[in-house]
Amino acid sequence: MTPTPYSTIGPFFPGQFADSCGDLTQVDGKTAGGQHILLHGSVVEEGNIPIRNAIVEIWQPDANGVFRHPLDPRYAEADPGFFGWGRYRTDAQGRYSFRTVLPGRASDGSGALRCPHVNLMVLAIGLTRRLVTTVFFSDAPDQVDDPVLKCVTDPAARRRLFTARDHALDREGLPAYRFDLILRGENETPFFLD
Amino acid sequence: MSSTAKNSTAAHASSEIEYLPYDDRTQSLRLIDRYPRSFTRNPSQPLIRRPLTLSELTGPTDLERRVKTGDGDLSLTVAGGPRAMGQLISVSGRVTDEDGAPLAGAVIELWQANSAGKYIHEMDRHEAPVDPNFTGEGCIVTDAEGQYQFRSIKPGAYPVMESDWWWRPPHIHFSIFGPSWMNRFVTQIFFPGEPLNETDLLLNGVPDPETRQRLLLQPQATTVGTFNILKFRQDFVLRGKRSTPALD
Repeated sequence: MTPTPYSTIGPFFPGQFADSCGDLTQVDGKTAGGQHILLHGSVVEEGNIPIRNAIVEIWQPDANGVFRHPLDPRYAEADPGFFGWGRYRTDAQGRYSFRTVLPGRASDGSGALRCPHVNLMVLAIGLTRRLVTTVFFSDAPDQVDDPVLKCVTDPAARRRLFTARDHALDREGLPAYRFDLILRGENETPFFLD
Repeated sequence: MSSTAKNSTAAHASSEIEYLPYDDRTQSLRLIDRYPRSFTRNPSQPLIRRPLTLSELTGPTDLERRVKTGDGDLSLTVAGGPRAMGQLISVSGRVTDEDGAPLAGAVIELWQANSAGKYIHEMDRHEAPVDPNFTGEGCIVTDAEGQYQFRSIKPGAYPVMESDWWWRPPHIHFSIFGPSWMNRFVTQIFFPGEPLNETDLLLNGVPDPETRQRLLLQPQATTVGTFNILKFRQDFVLRGKRSTPALD
């Protein structure tokens, strides 16, 4: 059987589905370990125009690089205070913002370690399929050896997949990391085949 | 961008399930004539093929901690209260993977317009009445056999305010969480026989007629008893299938 066709999320995804999922660092009264951070940025279309009402979802390992999922051999060690998944509906300026943790180095499943990263997907009017990408965290982007990153062969495009500290966006003592999702146009974000 | 090539590292991370890229022939077009945003929001650069590691093969679990699941009756906002206006409908079906294996515990988010074609949403500028007994939102979970069921009312058609001709036919939106990041799934399902189906850009954005049929609710045999409702069936196939063991 072939998968059912995807469609756009459209303009009317209920606000209450998205509006309480932006903080990954609290689960059932427990608080996530590791460095809490803000991950935020803008979603823009061609011409650098912000996209309001886009839905951004993220998936990532905890601060020790463990996924909250039974397929991870270290699942039992997963941080009970960290949820791993979040969702945000962009505001009128196209901005999203997650409170999460700096991801640890996760196994790639074959014994090697991934560069710390967060998976992202974007849904919006005009997109009949989700767009998926991955943002990486490193102080030395040019030295990163990662199986997903190395598929991005254009060096300029590869650099665009790294987030950077943005002190101007720090809030409540939390370090802010910025990652803009430029769906089309100049400095377009690289997206992966889904 | 071949749709049949196997993924090299998937087998390391999971000996059981593989996720092939979606086959464009059985999906919606990305760029649709007269659907303007599709031309300004889809990337101009080719999508990049990547291996699937543990990170992509895992995904959110115990979502009930984040999303509020309900009893699956959208036609009532309060138990025992007045029902929403409109034709009462019941939709049921199964969520499976590509092998037909049931996906148990899959969270399904639902949203739709009311019977007058109006959403309760800040983006909705259509001047149709709000129904005080209808929110148009629901969230349910599949059972051990991958089955789901919900009650609602048939949604109305509504105009796309950004266009000067396009009316959306009645449809229900589904957002489904499969067991991994790879089969996170969003679509919309239509009613058979609606005249507006013929001109809808999104339904007809699926070029293959057979595939398009899979987005139409299937009417079930009618019955008349104490509680009367029109029944429909809709099955979903999420990406993912058992990998064939390598011969080497």
